[in-house]
This record gives sequence, C-alpha cells and structure tokens, in this order.
Amino acid sequence: MKPSDSNKNDIVLKEHVFDGIQEYDQKLPNWWLFTLYIAIAWFIFAWVAYYQLPFKMPDSHEKIDAQMALIESKKQEELDSMMASISNESLQEMSLDTSHLDAGRAIFEAKCIACHGQDLSATMNGIQLPGVPLNDSEWKYGAEPLNIMNIVTNGSPDVTKGMIAWNTQLSPAEIAQVVAYILSHH
Amino acid sequence: MTSDSPATRKITIEFDDKTTRMFMVASIGWGVVAMLVGVLIAFQLNFWQMNGHYFEAVTRFLNETLKLSFIPVFDVDGIQYLTFGRLRPLHTNAAIFAFVGNMMFAGIYYSTQRLCLTRMFSDTLSKIHFWGWQLIIVFAAITLPAGLTRGKEYAELIWPINLMVVVIWVIFALNFFLTLKIRREKSLYVALWFYIATIITVAMLYIVNHLQIPTSLTHAYPVFAGVQDALVQWWYGHNAVAFFLTTPILGIMYYFLPKAAGRPVYSYRLSIVHFWSLVFIYIWAGPHHLLNTALPQWLQMLGVFFSLMLWAPSWGGMLNGLLTLRGAWDKLRTDPVIKFFVVGITFYGMSTFEGPLLSIRSVSALAHYTDWIIGHVHSGTLGWNGFMAAGMFYWLAPKLWGKKLWSTNLANMHFWIGLIGILLYVASLWFAGIIQGLMLNETDPTGTRVVNEFVQTVDKISLLMLARAIGGTFYLVGFLLLVINIWKTARSGAPVNETREVVEDPSMKKDSMTWKAAFTNEPIALTFWGLFFAILWFFLPPGANHMALLVTLGFTAYAVYQFKRNTQSWSDWYDKLSENYLPFSVLVLIAVILGGAIQIIPTVTVNRAINVEDRLQSVYTPLELAGRDIYVSEGCYNCHSQMIRTLVPDVLRYGDYSRLGESIYDHPFQWGSKRTGPDLAREGGKRSDSWHYLHMRNPRMNQGSRMPAYPWLFHKETKFKDLPGKIAVQQRLGVPFPIMTPEEIEQHAREQALEIATGLVAEQVKIEVPKGEKEPTNETEARDHLAGKEVIALISYLQKLGSFEEVAPDDTPEKIEPRIFKPGIPDNQRVRAPSAPAVTSTPDKESTLATQP
Repeated sequence: MKPSDSNKNDIVLKEHVFDGIQEYDQKLPNWWLFTLYIAIAWFIFAWVAYYQLPFKMPDSHEKIDAQMALIESKKQEELDSMMASISNESLQEMSLDTSHLDAGRAIFEAKCIACHGQDLSATMNGIQLPGVPLNDSEWKYGAEPLNIMNIVTNGSPDVTKGMIAWNTQLSPAEIAQVVAYILSHH
Repeated sequence: MTSDSPATRKITIEFDDKTTRMFMVASIGWGVVAMLVGVLIAFQLNFWQMNGHYFEAVTRFLNETLKLSFIPVFDVDGIQYLTFGRLRPLHTNAAIFAFVGNMMFAGIYYSTQRLCLTRMFSDTLSKIHFWGWQLIIVFAAITLPAGLTRGKEYAELIWPINLMVVVIWVIFALNFFLTLKIRREKSLYVALWFYIATIITVAMLYIVNHLQIPTSLTHAYPVFAGVQDALVQWWYGHNAVAFFLTTPILGIMYYFLPKAAGRPVYSYRLSIVHFWSLVFIYIWAGPHHLLNTALPQWLQMLGVFFSLMLWAPSWGGMLNGLLTLRGAWDKLRTDPVIKFFVVGITFYGMSTFEGPLLSIRSVSALAHYTDWIIGHVHSGTLGWNGFMAAGMFYWLAPKLWGKKLWSTNLANMHFWIGLIGILLYVASLWFAGIIQGLMLNETDPTGTRVVNEFVQTVDKISLLMLARAIGGTFYLVGFLLLVINIWKTARSGAPVNETREVVEDPSMKKDSMTWKAAFTNEPIALTFWGLFFAILWFFLPPGANHMALLVTLGFTAYAVYQFKRNTQSWSDWYDKLSENYLPFSVLVLIAVILGGAIQIIPTVTVNRAINVEDRLQSVYTPLELAGRDIYVSEGCYNCHSQMIRTLVPDVLRYGDYSRLGESIYDHPFQWGSKRTGPDLAREGGKRSDSWHYLHMRNPRMNQGSRMPAYPWLFHKETKFKDLPGKIAVQQRLGVPFPIMTPEEIEQHAREQALEIATGLVAEQVKIEVPKGEKEPTNETEARDHLAGKEVIALISYLQKLGSFEEVAPDDTPEKIEPRIFKPGIPDNQRVRAPSAPAVTSTPDKESTLATQP
C-alpha cells in the first residue's frame, strides 16, 4: 500500500501468495466509498435531528395517538349524522329495497356467516355455530330495528358471547344495510 | 514461504480431506431434507389438507381403489407432527444449521488446512465435531415435529440440544484456532479472517440468546421476557444471518472463487475495509426486525441507520468477488462452478441491497409480516448460500474423489433449473408481499375503517403462493441433479487425500507480536478514542452530547490526517497484525461485542417503571400459562403475531397498539415475524369460547382459512401436574405469580378449566371421544371429560390475550424492577398474596365456579 510510489494508477499485486491465491491492491471504488460516507453522515445528521436538538420530533406514539383521535372524531360525526336520519321505520323500509338487500347480503356473507350461518340459522351442515339464530322471532336485546342496529354497531353487552362491535369494520350505512338484510328474513 | 535459510526443511503432509468429504455429503443429504420440508410447508399454505389430511386420500386410494385392504383408511383432519407450525422450524433449522452449516464446515476444513499449510490440529476433534453436529441435527429432526420447542425463531431447539451445540462449537473452535497456531504460513489470508469472525460471534450470540431455566428435561423458560427477549432474539436472529450465513460464505468465496477463476483477488485493501466495517456494523442492525413495534424508538432508529450503513460493507464483498473475475469472464460460458459463484454473489448483492431498503421504517410498515420478507431471506439462502454451496461442491468433488465431474451438462442443467426456481420464488413473493401489504392497509374513502378481511388478503395472493411453491420445487429438482452428479462422480472415483510437500521454517516469525504492540499504536488508539466519544455522544445529556460529537469528528479528521501522513506505518502494522492470530481474534471480538452491548445492556433495564408505558400485563393464571405453553409448542407464532404496530391500519384492524408493558411477563415473547393469519395481541374476549372451540376443530368455519385443524387438542390431556414446577421457574424469573402451594395451583387450573368446559357444554358443542371410550351420558360427564383437554387450556390463554392493568406512569409498583439480575421472588411480593387465587381471566366469570372435579 504505497500510493506515493511511482504512478498512482499502477495496479499493485501484493507479494504474498496463499495456496496459489494472489491479491491485487486496487483502490477502493469512489462511488462505493461515497455510499458508505453518505450513510454515515446521514446517521449523524438524522440522530442529532431526532434526539439532540431543542425541539422534539413527534415520536411514533404521539403520531399514532393524533391520527387515531382524528379518526375517532370522524367516526363519531358519521354515526351521529346517520343516527339522526335513521329510525325503526326507515330501517323497515330499507328491508324492502332490493338494492340495500343485495348490499346487505354481500356484507352478511363476508362478515357474519362464520357465526350466524349462511341461512341465519347459526348452523353449518347441522353443526351448531357460536352465534345466535337470526331467523327466529327471539331477540335477546330488543326486537326493534334500532336495537338490532345498536348490537351490530357496538357489539353484545356481554363480551364473552363473542358478538364484536362492527363499527371498526363497517360504516353506519353498511350496518344499516346488513340490519335491513336481517329484517328481510322476518 | 520459499525462503532458503539453512534451518528450513521440506516435509510432506497429508491433508485431512476425509472430514471435508463427510461434511460435504452431510450437507447435500440434509440439504435435500431441508428443501423437501420447505416444499411441503409451502404447499401447506395453499392446501390446508397437506397438514396431514391428505393421508386420507392416499390411504383411501390404496385401500379402496387398489384393493390393498391391509392398509387402513386414515381418517383424520390433521397430523400433529406434520403441521406448518411444527415443520417450519424444522425447515429453517435444517436449512441453516444442517445444510449451510455442514457446507460451511466442509469449506472451512478444506481451505483452512491449505491456507495454513498444515493438517487440522486434531483428527479426533474433527471427528467429534462432525458426528456431534450430525447428532444434534438428528435430535432436532425428532424434537421439533414432536412439538418440543423454545418458541424463538432459529433458536427453537430445546435446552439439552443447546448444550450439545455449545460443546460441539467449542470443539470446532478449539480445533480451528489450534490449527491456526500450528500453521506454516506466516500471515492469515482474508478467508481466515471471516472464519475467525464466524466462530467468535456465533458463540457469543448463541449463548446469550439461549440463557434459560429448565422446568423439565424438554422444556425451559428463557430468562428474558417481552421486549428484552425480542431484542435479544433479533440481535441473535439477524446476526445468525450475518455470521452463520454470510461471513463464513464470504470466507469460502475468498478461497474458492480465485482458485476456480485462476485470478488474483481484486483488492486487498477492499478486503480489509469491508471486513472490519461488516463485522462492526452488522451487529447493530438487529432491531430492524422490530420496526414500528413497541420497541423503544431510539433502538428502532439505530437499527435503521446501521442497516443503511451496512449496505456499502456488504457490497464490498460482492465487488471483491465479481471484480476478481475480470479477465476470466470467458469461463462463465464453460465452467458451471463460475456460473454458480457469479449468480450466488449477485444474489448476495441483491439481498444486501434489499435488506437496507426493507429496514426503512416506512418500507417496513408495508413489507413486515408479509411474504416479501420470506422472499428476501430465500434470495439469501437459496440464491447466495445455495448457489455458493453448489459451486463449491462441483469444484470440490473432482478434487476429493480424484475424478473429473461426472457431467458438466447436468451441472449446467442444475444451474438453469435452480435459477428459474429461485427467480420464480423471489418474484412471486415480491408481488405477494406488496399486494397483501397494500390490501391490509386499504381503508374506505373516509379513512376510518379497513376494508379487507384478513382472509381475503391471503386469498388474493393464493396463486402467487402457489408459484412460490412451484419455484421451490424447481430449486429442489435442480439440487437433486447435483446429488446425482456428485454421487456418480464419487462412485467413479475413489476418495483422495491430497499430500503436499511444504517447507518448514522454524525461524518464521509468526505470532510474535506482543499484546502491547498489538494494542498500543496509532490506528487502535485513534479508533478507541473515536468510538469512546461516539458512545458519549449517544448517552450524554443535551449539551454535553454535542461536545462529544464534535470531539468524535475531530478525532476522525485527525485520524484521516494521520492515515494520509503515516500510510506506510499503518499498513505495516496491519500486515503485522494479520501475522498474529490471537490479537487479531481479540480485536474481532471487541468489534462484535460493542454493538450488542450498547443495545442490549440499556434494554435489560428498559422494563423499568418509565418504560412500561401506561399498561402492565395481567399475570397468567396457571391454566392460561399451560395454554400459552401449548401455543408455543404448536408453533402458532409462525403464522400469528402478537404485536399491534404503531400504524393506523394495524390499530384499525386489531385495536389499540401494543405497549411495552403488555408482554413484560412473556417468557418467551411471541411478537412473531410473519402474519399468515391475523394478529392475536388483543384476541382475548373478541370471540366466544365456543367459537374458538369450533374453530380449532374446523378452521374452515372462517371461509377460506388455511389454518390446519387441530383435532389432537381435543384428545390430549393438559399436564396440570407440571404447572407448579413451571410457575416456580417463572417466579424465579420475576413474574409476580401469587404465592400458592402446588396443590392450590393445580386446583386453580382445574377449576378454571371446569368453568370453561361448563360453558361449552351449556352451548352444546360437540364432544369428541376417541373410539372405544365411553360417550358422556350427561352434562356433568361431558364437562369433566372436556375440562382436562388441551383445547380448554389453549382457549383460556387466547381469551387472556390483551388483558392488562392500567398503571400510572409515576407510581409503578416495584415488581417491575429489572428482573433478570434478581432471581427469586422479591420480598415485597411475598406478603401480597392470600392463599386463594388472586388472578382470573375475566371478573364476570369468577362467581360461577363449579365444584372441584
């Protein structure tokens, strides 16, 4: 390694030989060196910027908390406006409207049949499923369409029964459609 | 080497090529096993029936269609020894430790003897190493399908096998270093540097990640829990890739590639720079496996930045490999060995580019937990390791059996089939990972809800997963051609051990450097002070850290200046160092210890009050602990994570993001690394007991699910008797279980099981009774029958997932003091617990305890 010797661009072959293997001593490619330097410089710069300046960048918890707060308020607004426009009668009307029923069936088949069965009987090939049957006339938590809407939205009051709150996955409008689909079986 | 001083004499030595041959054959054999299991589990992801159910079709065909009536029709939904959860660890362990491990040993034994111009130090140690390693693999192949596992990836083997690994590794190390000691070559070639780094670092990683306290001959709890365990695990896991799958193979590349190409290595100084930067930087990058999780953010950031810095050192290896071929590229057309090496090195370059890319937090947000990661690791193991192995085997076979390769054409065919296979594999998983990631993150127009069910996203990539399985099959077929080729070559020749005349020069001044000379010199001093202030920069309070940074930069500038001025003396020092194997090895050790120490030591204290965040995990009841051990044993973590990341789609889908304190008592942690099924961190209470009961028996009640059925959980008995011993160990590890006598523990577990069983019987679930046993005739009998089964314990655990106590950050109870340095039950907890159980899963269940069975 004698860069000062003779011409700098000469390719030096090292003297040592290992089991017949020789080694050149080529200069390190500049682009390669700069990749390394830039990565190191970026580390120093970013570390100082993140952790060592008087102002604090929001960390991942602060970011997610803010994002989720926004989402929650949006959802609440959406629900409030939906509830203002909906009633037992309007849900019954929806249950006669085929466009709502088709949408409701699609949602029901995607989300509900695992527990309540394809035909709402809470059985699959004769095996009892975990849900309650929805095709009989017994309603555990109230028979009014709005009662049903409430259970789908917020889940069963008894968490061990397994009916989850669907407002995390379905919009109020979609929940109304699925309730309409259930009502159409009565 | 050719000095002719009067004292020199010529002697003839015989290299121990038998050990190389044995390791090579073992590698090829285990390689077939590893790939076969890989292909099976790949198909299991598409066809759940492959988890054992397909035996029904096979036996029915034999029995009914072929009229072979002595073969019984096998009628079960799954076989416990063949599920994905149990076989995937077998696949990874076989590929890493059996296939690549034996290949590495073959390469190391062959090249080290020639680079040191001596036979290995001890044939006995070589033999013990070989047979010990194979024994370990056989034990692994038995225990893993049997469900005996530690539940940590690539560290699944149970503790007696861990001890064997340590002993055998020490024997290997002894043999290797003593061979270095008796070498007849003055200085150490770069391949040996990489071998040294491998042996030292793997030992360090393995021991730390396997610290554990046994509860029985086949079971132990790791001493670390939750975030500590996660960090230690991925420090190990990431560096298993670095120091088991990368550095030894780089060493092998530095020996076998120039030999095969007949060209000098491209650049000696590039070797120096990339070797030292690689071993120093690699260690730090482990946390990039835990991005956006509950891991403290500063550790995540360190993982990201060091991964980015790792790119250039990795590519240094690729450059030195590929550029060595300058002037020999014509051989690419004719020599299959060069073909395999070139593609292998290119895959190394590709996956070490992909790695830093995946380490960027926003890329990780999309790619983590998806198949993209699986594709990435396979471009490393199949592309880089597998092709380097093939090249090395094709080059070695003629030398080891004294006959030229049986068929070059067949080797070329292997090359093309393997290449198509791996490209199909990697490409389909790129698409699969990105598609699934995007679908999981997709929200409705309001941005407030995710729109795709988890199972839909898996359905969508079904064909791509099938393409992956086919790609893997191609690769296996190619490898089988290698088996034939090597077999034929070996059969046509006979084992040959090379003998060589070497010059013995007693006056050779190797290993003559004093420790003082090795450590008190300019390069070391400047590196030391530079690193010292860099660490201060990290940890000093504001103000002082900026000063430390300035000092670090000052030292760096001064070091560069001194290097330019004294290049010759620095270079002489390094040449001298590489003539001294012990100081060299100690410097390697220091370089690899630093990163781990800085990340892990603060994390051992990370469970302290301030870092529990606002939540503290509820302690498991005895039954729930039993259920958790079943969860670990069945390998559920291979498909289900327990970590909701700080990302909106994760929170929308699974609930509030996971806090550090919520896995604080989990020995081992089960955060997972891949989601073939949904996250389970907050599964508790989401569904009813009967849902879980039915789902375990028939996961197809969730349409499109690929999960295997678990019929044996409905027959196997929960081991209530083991619980007191297990809880005693957990208490020693600092988990605040209430003080209970063994009888109380067992009674508590049985009561909780009975309570769950009572609920299930009331919901009229189907009770399965093995043939020949009496069907329960009334509810009490049904309940008693059910209560002892494993499925009940597992349900109790699943229903517990996500339960926690709120804690105010200020008044955190003392029980969360850093625990691993304080075994035993802290005194302040001894008064707390009355004899009655203090913890149950859900409060509303408490009142309805039935009588004891």
